[in-house]
Amino acid sequence: MGTQNVSWWGQQRNRQLALIVCFLLPSLVIFFLYRILPLGWNVILSFQSWSPLRPAEWIGFEHYVEMWEYDDVFWIALKNTLIFIAASPLAIAAALGVALLVNSDLKGASIYRTIVFLSYPLMAIAVGIIWRWMYDERGGIINYALRSAGLIDKPIGFLQDFDWALPSVIFAEVWQILGFYMIILLTGLQSIPQNLYEAARIDGAPAWARFFRITIPMLRPSLFLCVVVGILNSFSSFDLVYIMTNGGPGHATELLITHIYKAGFVQTKFDYAAALTVVQFALLVALTFVANKAAGGNAGAVERD
Amino acid sequence: MASRSKHATLLGLRHLTLMVIAFFMLVPFYWVIKTAITNENIYAYPPSLLPQNPHLFNFVDVWYLIPFPRYLLNSIIVSTIAVVGNVVFNAMAGYALTRQFAGRNLVLALFLSCMLIPFQATIIPAYLITAKLSLLNTYFGLALPMLSTIVCIFVFKAAFEAVPRSLIDAARLDGLSEWRIILRVLMPLSKPAIATNVILTFIWSWNNFLWPLLITRDPLMQTLPLGLARFLSYLEDTTGALYAFAVMVLAPSILVFLMAQKEFIRGLTSGATKG
Repeated sequence: MGTQNVSWWGQQRNRQLALIVCFLLPSLVIFFLYRILPLGWNVILSFQSWSPLRPAEWIGFEHYVEMWEYDDVFWIALKNTLIFIAASPLAIAAALGVALLVNSDLKGASIYRTIVFLSYPLMAIAVGIIWRWMYDERGGIINYALRSAGLIDKPIGFLQDFDWALPSVIFAEVWQILGFYMIILLTGLQSIPQNLYEAARIDGAPAWARFFRITIPMLRPSLFLCVVVGILNSFSSFDLVYIMTNGGPGHATELLITHIYKAGFVQTKFDYAAALTVVQFALLVALTFVANKAAGGNAGAVERD
Repeated sequence: MASRSKHATLLGLRHLTLMVIAFFMLVPFYWVIKTAITNENIYAYPPSLLPQNPHLFNFVDVWYLIPFPRYLLNSIIVSTIAVVGNVVFNAMAGYALTRQFAGRNLVLALFLSCMLIPFQATIIPAYLITAKLSLLNTYFGLALPMLSTIVCIFVFKAAFEAVPRSLIDAARLDGLSEWRIILRVLMPLSKPAIATNVILTFIWSWNNFLWPLLITRDPLMQTLPLGLARFLSYLEDTTGALYAFAVMVLAPSILVFLMAQKEFIRGLTSGATKG
C-alpha cells in the first residue's frame, strides 16, 4: 500500500509508459487498420460467400476450387505474374553493371547516377502514358527508330500485339525501377571493405575472381533486397499495367493484381477477389522465403511501401 | 606507358557505355516534352525529331479541357495531410522506439513484418474498412492509409539515437519536460530525417493512384493521377495536351527529387543497410 500517497499517474515510470503508448498509438492504429486487419479479413472473406448486400455465408474452399478449375484468367494472370517476377533478375543484373560502372572515383559519376535514378520517383501513370506514346504504332519513336534502322518493315503495335504486349510493359517497368536497384547495389558496393580487394590483388587474384569471390558474396544482402523488391513489384506495377494495357490485349498482360482489381471493383465479387489476394500473398511470401534461403538466411530487413 | 594508355582506353569505354545508358534513360523525357510543345499532327510519319514551332498552348489547354485546377488542389491537399501526418506520427513512434519499455521488441517485430505486406494486397478489406468509417470520397480517407510509414519511423529512430545522450540528460536536468526535449532538442537536431520524411511521403502520396482509384467515385475528389487516366480515356491520346498534362504532373516530383536527392536516397536505402 505504498502507493497511497502517489497516484498511478504520479509515478514517473507509469507516466513514461503512458507517454510511449500515446506516441506509438497513431502509427499502430494505422498499421492495424490498413495492414494487419486487412490481411486477416482477406483470409476470412476468401472462405465466405459475401457481397455488400448479402449476409456472409461460410462456403469453405469453394472460391479456391473455382479459381483452380474454372478461372482461366487466373492461370494466365499467374503465368504473367511469374514472368514479370522472372524478368527482375535480368534488370538487377543490368543495374549491377551500371552500379559497378558508376562506383569508384569516376568523373561525373554522380551525374550518371542521377540520370539513371531520375525515372524512379515518377508517377507510374505518367510513365505509362509516356511509354504508350513511345510504343505507338503510328507516331511512336520506337517504331520510327526500328524502321529507320531497317530492322523492321512494318510498324509493330507493341501494346496491341499478343506476343509483344507483356515484354513491352515489362521493359517500361524496368526503365522505371532500374535506378532503384542501382542505388541499393551501390550502397552495398560501398560497404565492402576495400582491404579485401587489396589483399586479393596482392595474392594475384584476377579481376573475375575478385568479382565472384568478393563482390558477389559481400553484396548478398543488397541483392536479396533487390530480389524482394522485384517480387513485390508484381503487386505494385498495377498502375503501369492499368494505364498501358489494362490487362489487354485479351488477357495478354493480365497480372494477378489487375485480376484482383477487376474481380473486386469491376465485378464487385469482393469475396472471390479476397481469395485471389490470399493466393498472390502466399506466392509472395513463398518466393521471398526461397530468396532468403538462397541469400543464406537472415539477409536483412526489407522496405518498400 | 602501355598500361597507362590501356587505362585511358578503359576509362573512355566506361564513359561511353554510361553515356549510351544515360541517353536511353533520357529519351522518354525528351520525347514527351517534345510532343507536349509541338502543335503538328502528332501522328505524322516520319515524326520530326526536333519540335517544330515550339509553343506552350498545350499547357494552357489542359486547364480548360479537364478540371485540372480541381485535381491539382485535391492532390495538394491530400499530399499535405499525408506529409504533416507522417512527420508528426513517425517522429512520435520513432522517439518511443528509442526508449526501453515492455513489449518494445514486439512492436519492432510488428513494424518489420508490416513492411512485407504490400498495400496492394490489402485493397479489398481496406476499401471495406474505409467505407465502414464513412471516409470514401474524403480527403482524410485518401490520406489515412499513408499517414504513417514504417521506413520513416526507422529513419527518425536512427536520427534520435544519434543525438548525444548527455545533451538530453542536460536538458532534463535543466527541468525541460519530455515534450520540450523532443521539440526543442531532438527535432532541431534531426532536420535531415524530417527532410527525408517529407520528400518520401510527398512523392508517394503525389504518385499514388490505386487508392484514390478505389475510394473516389466523385470526380470532384479525384487527384492528378486519376485525372490523367480520365483524360486518356475521354479524350484519347490524340492531342499534345495529354503529354503537356503528363509533364506538369511529373515536374514537381522531378524538382523535389533533384533538390533533395541525398535525403531521398537516404530514406530508400535506410532499410537496405539495416540500421
